Amino acid sequence: MEKSGRLYVFIGVLVLVGVIFTVRLFFLQIVDTSNYYKAQSYGSNEIVIHPSRGTIVDRNGKLMVFNDAIYDLMVVPEKAKNFDKAYLCRELGIDTAEFNKRLKKASRYNIKEPAVIYKSLSKELYTRMQEILYQFPAFYIETKIDRRYNINGAAHLLGYMGEVSEKQLKEDKYYRPGDIKGISGIEKAYEIYLRGKKGRKVVLVDKFSKQQGSFAGGKFDSLPIPGQNIVSAIDMDLQQFGEELLKNKIGSIVAIEPATGEVLAIVNSPNYDPNLLVGQQRDKNFNSLLLDPRKPLFNRALKSPYPPGSTFKTVQALIGLNEGVLHSYTKYPCRGGYHMGSITVGCHPHASPLELERSIAQSCNAYYCNVYRSIIDNPKYSSVQDGYTQWTKYLNSFSLGMKTGIDLPEESKGIVKQSQYFEKIFGKNWRSSNVISLSIGQGEVGLTPLQMANVSATIANRGFYYTPHVVRSIGDNNFVPAEFKVKHRTMVAPEFFDTVVAGMAKVTQPGGTAWRCSIEGIDICGKTGTAQNPHGDHHSLFIAFAPRDNPKIAICVVVENGGAGAAYAAPIACLMIERYLATDKTQPSKKPDMLKRMLEANLAGAAIYQLPGKDPAPAAGTKDTTAKKKPAPAALPVKKK
Amino acid sequence: MEEKIHIDWLTVILYIIIVIFGAMNIYSANSSVENAFLFDFSREYGKQFIWIGISAAIVFLILLTDFKFFNFSSYGIYAIVIGMLMVLLATGSFERGAQAWFRIGSFKLQPSEFAKYATALALAKFLGGFDVKFEGKKNILICFGIIFLPMALTLLQNDTGSALVFASFILVLYREGLSGWWLILGVYLALIFVLTILLPSLYIIGTLLILAVGFIYFFRKQKQLIVLGIVVFAASSFFILSLDFVFAKLLQPHQQQRILVTLNQDVDQYYTKKAKEFSIFKVEKKHVDKKNASKRDYSYNVRQSKISIGAGRWWGNGFNNGTQTKAKLVPEQHTDFIFCTIGEEYGFVGSTAFLLVYLLMIGRIFYLAERQKNIFSRVFGYSTGSIIFFHFFINIGMALGVLPVIGIPLPFMSYGGSSLISFSMLLFTFLKLDANRVNEISRLY
Repeated sequence: MEKSGRLYVFIGVLVLVGVIFTVRLFFLQIVDTSNYYKAQSYGSNEIVIHPSRGTIVDRNGKLMVFNDAIYDLMVVPEKAKNFDKAYLCRELGIDTAEFNKRLKKASRYNIKEPAVIYKSLSKELYTRMQEILYQFPAFYIETKIDRRYNINGAAHLLGYMGEVSEKQLKEDKYYRPGDIKGISGIEKAYEIYLRGKKGRKVVLVDKFSKQQGSFAGGKFDSLPIPGQNIVSAIDMDLQQFGEELLKNKIGSIVAIEPATGEVLAIVNSPNYDPNLLVGQQRDKNFNSLLLDPRKPLFNRALKSPYPPGSTFKTVQALIGLNEGVLHSYTKYPCRGGYHMGSITVGCHPHASPLELERSIAQSCNAYYCNVYRSIIDNPKYSSVQDGYTQWTKYLNSFSLGMKTGIDLPEESKGIVKQSQYFEKIFGKNWRSSNVISLSIGQGEVGLTPLQMANVSATIANRGFYYTPHVVRSIGDNNFVPAEFKVKHRTMVAPEFFDTVVAGMAKVTQPGGTAWRCSIEGIDICGKTGTAQNPHGDHHSLFIAFAPRDNPKIAICVVVENGGAGAAYAAPIACLMIERYLATDKTQPSKKPDMLKRMLEANLAGAAIYQLPGKDPAPAAGTKDTTAKKKPAPAALPVKKK
Repeated sequence: MEEKIHIDWLTVILYIIIVIFGAMNIYSANSSVENAFLFDFSREYGKQFIWIGISAAIVFLILLTDFKFFNFSSYGIYAIVIGMLMVLLATGSFERGAQAWFRIGSFKLQPSEFAKYATALALAKFLGGFDVKFEGKKNILICFGIIFLPMALTLLQNDTGSALVFASFILVLYREGLSGWWLILGVYLALIFVLTILLPSLYIIGTLLILAVGFIYFFRKQKQLIVLGIVVFAASSFFILSLDFVFAKLLQPHQQQRILVTLNQDVDQYYTKKAKEFSIFKVEKKHVDKKNASKRDYSYNVRQSKISIGAGRWWGNGFNNGTQTKAKLVPEQHTDFIFCTIGEEYGFVGSTAFLLVYLLMIGRIFYLAERQKNIFSRVFGYSTGSIIFFHFFINIGMALGVLPVIGIPLPFMSYGGSSLISFSMLLFTFLKLDANRVNEISRLY
């Protein structure tokens, strides 16, 4: 058979086809890895399981912040093609233009990454979406955690949550578009502890985006790790009491436990309800808070430097004592003020001359003009400038003019000028008389309420402080960051504190500036301050701690435009101390009249005139014109009570 | 003396391996991830067991039948199948665009699958006749007639894929004496066809002109070859220039798309590009059907198929673990695209091993066919091998994206009763004939 050799042609063709297919297979399966990666992304859908965020309790274990589930409609922009947009928009109740806008926003970062297209679905909408979403393979619902608050204040302290920004997305790969994170307060500072770790479930989806089960037998699945719970140092009762007291006033209260540096309360007024910044209305509420002329989002306690006024005299006395230019027995005369050439620093009538303790109790301005001059004009320094520089170093050791390092974001370091600053104004050889107002805490000095409270805590401790912190411990193992336990000593030797403490104790005793505020049975050491304010009435200030021995609480109260320190700040501080030290919080105050007066006082109107868009309050007309001028440094005529 | 059954066990074992492997892959492609009961007869993987059972029964019957029956009843079987195809054409309803199925209750019968079997028998009977050879106009015409009749009927049912399979009989005719030049011509035309789609027509004609001039110069002393050169060049040029017309007019839009997709051509751009070129018959707008072309994604099947296979990498995801398979991303994966499952779940190693086993079986069939002593058995054997090979080549070529999508099953692997039963009949009829060859010899000596 002559054709039998053709079998080999057949065999040859089989071999050829076998080789071609093998080469092709090799190319598809081994060489071209893109198919493999496409397969990874195509047949599976990663569902992120958001962990529950850590809760926040107060120092007594009372729940302050907890979680609630919210449902976000997510979209994978890459897959959002060829769907009935009009139908989906109708169901969501938004118009197509808005929908397109959101879709565009969702596509901006990465079209393969899922992003939120509709935040916080209502219960009804959530149910409806569950029914119809099978028609929209690019869309799915993700369960997220939203915050809820047991307290309607402490907003600045706790902070609020918000969507991650594009910048943050690039910095931290943990986040995906639409994730929410802490934006301020404890929520921001302790984000990495609170957020936990996202889990994921990779599910197999078929071409209709129907889930077909776990991908690769759950090999890539992981459970979410819940965030760590945080025990705050805050005393929720004291915090709320402080907020009550500051209602209808503008100002701030900071209370610290001196022995630990734990912050017991940070009260700001105006304040806002943290519950406003969660849920569907969040963005709307946030915008109205942002535009509110009273600036309720502004954290005065940490960010607003106030002239400390006479409260500053305590620090001046300590520096003077340590420098050896002042002694407990030192007496300076006061003739209605301090007179030096053309400059007069006024003072209120009181007995004269006074020694150190009584100078604090009666807050003599002339006394501290002398003390301050003796500090910076000290002949042991070659010049006033060097003396001044040494003085600022003392302040820095009290963490004045620098950040205290509190565990909250956005802290101001206050105002303490370098000596060079004065050269620009007064020339190279400026003199102590140029900066004389600093001696009584006016002029180029500004301290935040937190810094003033920390000064109070430092005096209460007789010379040291712990970095103030609002968090007591983190997680189930009660982890305490090491920096909370570092003792910071001031440059003033401990032995000099007792004289100043004794002076502060006299403030609330008969003859002291705040004796009317004293509360029976409590040894309150304090110092009033009445800070001149170019914009209106004096700010009322008070720093205090109690009891005198083994102090439990150090406090600073600032009431803007509250007048004299003893008018508002001192009563509020004393009431706060009374409340905190009381074992039974239901027990009525020993000063019910004072409490009633504080709760009912409405000072907010006095501040309104400086706000844009509002009619000037009647109080504005009564102000003298000089008060509205920018203060001329040092030359400011000072009147003190 | 009792006749022993000298069946070729190697082929049987390869057959069993492939059928069982096929059932596994159908199960994988067709079952859902959880709670898949193996013998769930409402699902395709369950039904496949029924088809395997029926096939086994028919195989048993074939092995018990006297070998002479097949020779004797060849034309009868052929006539019956042709009759069925005609009845189907007259009464059958369209399903999936083709008039290819008889519906009996919930089961569907596809006569075109059995037409291949009948055609193989009829062709073998004719060529195996006394003193008949593949020579002379009359015999050649009869051979082509036997093949064309069922092919034309299948084509009329709009089942282009099944109709194309009848082209595999050309290979049988080649073995029986058809000149190899015809096969070369076929390959040549296919090559020209592909090149014309890929490149501008005039480039190809220019290249051919240079080749033709060189050829004529080389053989300038042989007049016949000079004429051949001129004729081939002229015919090729005509073919190239009229190809647009052929392409647009003779092929249906979806067939055009599939060919273009295989050649990596953008469907929309192709027609605008070609419209600018010189051509004898301009493509008329109405044939282009652009709107329809852009609406459907003709590359979807092949793209998904490639992704599935590519996902397998070296070792694959393992049985029932193919993510693409489980996600049912490849359409028709348990039927025509069954090879994707193999690619994804068994990887490069498993896939090549499978190709090897399959090609070994086909090669074995050709080898067995060649050793037949009578022409009837030999022609039938070559038909069996060629039909299975053609299916294998087209089906896997399609899954790998090297051939256009033509919907024909992979024998013994793809889901489908008609397919499994008819291929089993084909194979075991031949094995019966082969076994008989041994009996014949043992009787002779």
